[in-house]
Amino acid sequence: MNLLSVMPGDSFLHRLNPVTKLAAAFLYGIGCILCDSIAMEVVFILLMLLISASAGLLPRALALTRRLLVLGLFMFVIQLLFVRTGAPLLSLGGVTLVTTGGLRSALLLSLRVVATMLPLMLFFAVTQMNDLCNALVKRLHLPYRYAFIITTAFRFVPLFSSEFAEIQDAQRARGVDFETKNLVRKVKLVAPLCVPLLVSSLKKVNSSAISAELRGFEMRGRESGYKEYPFGKNDALALALLVLMVALCAALL
Amino acid sequence: MIRFEDVSFHYPHTQASIEGLSFHIAKGEFVALIGANGAGKSTISRLCNGLLRPSAGRVLLDGEDTSQTPTSRLARKVGFLFQNPDRQICENTVREEIAFSMKAQGWDEQAIAGRVEEILAAFDLAGDWFPFERSRGERQRIALAGALACEPQLLILDEPTTGLDYRECIRIMDYVTALNRDKGVTVLMVSHDMELVQDYARRVLVLEGGKLLGDGDVKRVMKDEALLRSARVLPAQIPALALRLGEGFEDVYTIAEMAGAIQKRRAEASR
Repeated sequence: MNLLSVMPGDSFLHRLNPVTKLAAAFLYGIGCILCDSIAMEVVFILLMLLISASAGLLPRALALTRRLLVLGLFMFVIQLLFVRTGAPLLSLGGVTLVTTGGLRSALLLSLRVVATMLPLMLFFAVTQMNDLCNALVKRLHLPYRYAFIITTAFRFVPLFSSEFAEIQDAQRARGVDFETKNLVRKVKLVAPLCVPLLVSSLKKVNSSAISAELRGFEMRGRESGYKEYPFGKNDALALALLVLMVALCAALL
Repeated sequence: MIRFEDVSFHYPHTQASIEGLSFHIAKGEFVALIGANGAGKSTISRLCNGLLRPSAGRVLLDGEDTSQTPTSRLARKVGFLFQNPDRQICENTVREEIAFSMKAQGWDEQAIAGRVEEILAAFDLAGDWFPFERSRGERQRIALAGALACEPQLLILDEPTTGLDYRECIRIMDYVTALNRDKGVTVLMVSHDMELVQDYARRVLVLEGGKLLGDGDVKRVMKDEALLRSARVLPAQIPALALRLGEGFEDVYTIAEMAGAIQKRRAEASR
């Protein structure tokens, strides 16, 4: 499953202005960062899963949560081993391994990673990059050149990911076994694949640039797009709720 | 060599799939897979070497179930030439590139060195070239040389001549034909180019919507316009013309045969 591709729909989330969606994802993330309660971070994750379900994105949200939990687990272990505040919780041969402060910090940080990243990742599921680009130009008056750079960077991520999968398949077909558990060996096997990926990426970027120039890229401005991106009541409601959430989180600090 | 037993495969989130496909390709055959885009040609080729695993049914390579064997192990028997050589090439010199798959499959250094020189000579390549700076045709030749280095018993070609000029196309296909004829390597070629299919393949599998519409001798298939039409494929031009000319042109498939048949008809008319 490509976890960054758009999932079309007509839900409340889908119908929001792309700029609102981007702002909402960031505000939700800021709220999660400001929040200092493990229980609240869990609530934020569950709330985001509920919101995703309302837009028909629950399977995607669950898949993303699973992936983010792996990242969270990594943060958890680091925090657990390196934060030394609070009372000792686990000792071995006189050496304190885990403290209460370490455990709390590890749980909080790992859940915060999931809660913060989830809305940003789900933003890609409900927003066409073209719409985001046009809305940034029309509503925020961002020069097209910069809006294009931002959205193209996002758009190329799944392209490069599928290109990398193809390259990996080609090497597998030549007898390379990537299914090793030895991390060093895995890095050694994957590193040479950067060469074809880089070559194909440069070629793709070059041909995309030429293609854009030939279609009058330089002439595009705020008035070039026929589609309008008005802010509606729903946008105001969504933003108001999120600003309130951030304010509450800041007040509870 | 390879047997599909009631094989189905479905891609997630798309309509594309293959359904209940069964066929057998014997050792030494030269088979072409033809069909419109999305007919399932590339899916079949990827099922042969385990890059894809069937949703139902079995793909057997010399009796071995490909879904139970890692692709890296199947690579000892199956060589795969991708349409885009740039996905395959990953080393800094042609010599290293050809040695790549032999190293991956655990050949010893001495055997690798000998085989690399043999391959370089056979494919008319210079070992010190930086592969990415060569022409498209040469890169395709480097990729083919790399795929053949480990002496596979089955060679899969996924649209091998797309984007190549006529000279490089003939060069690539002549290597493949010689390999098939002299060493008995089984060839499975995916192609949209009906002239190429007619000139090189001996058997054709016709696909449409993931189903096998036809399977037979290349000459019979090329003259079966109804079959090709239902697979949304245009026949090669000479057999199509021969079909329209009717009597006296039944066995015409090539330009030389067409010229011969026309001359014969002229001679008969002037008599």
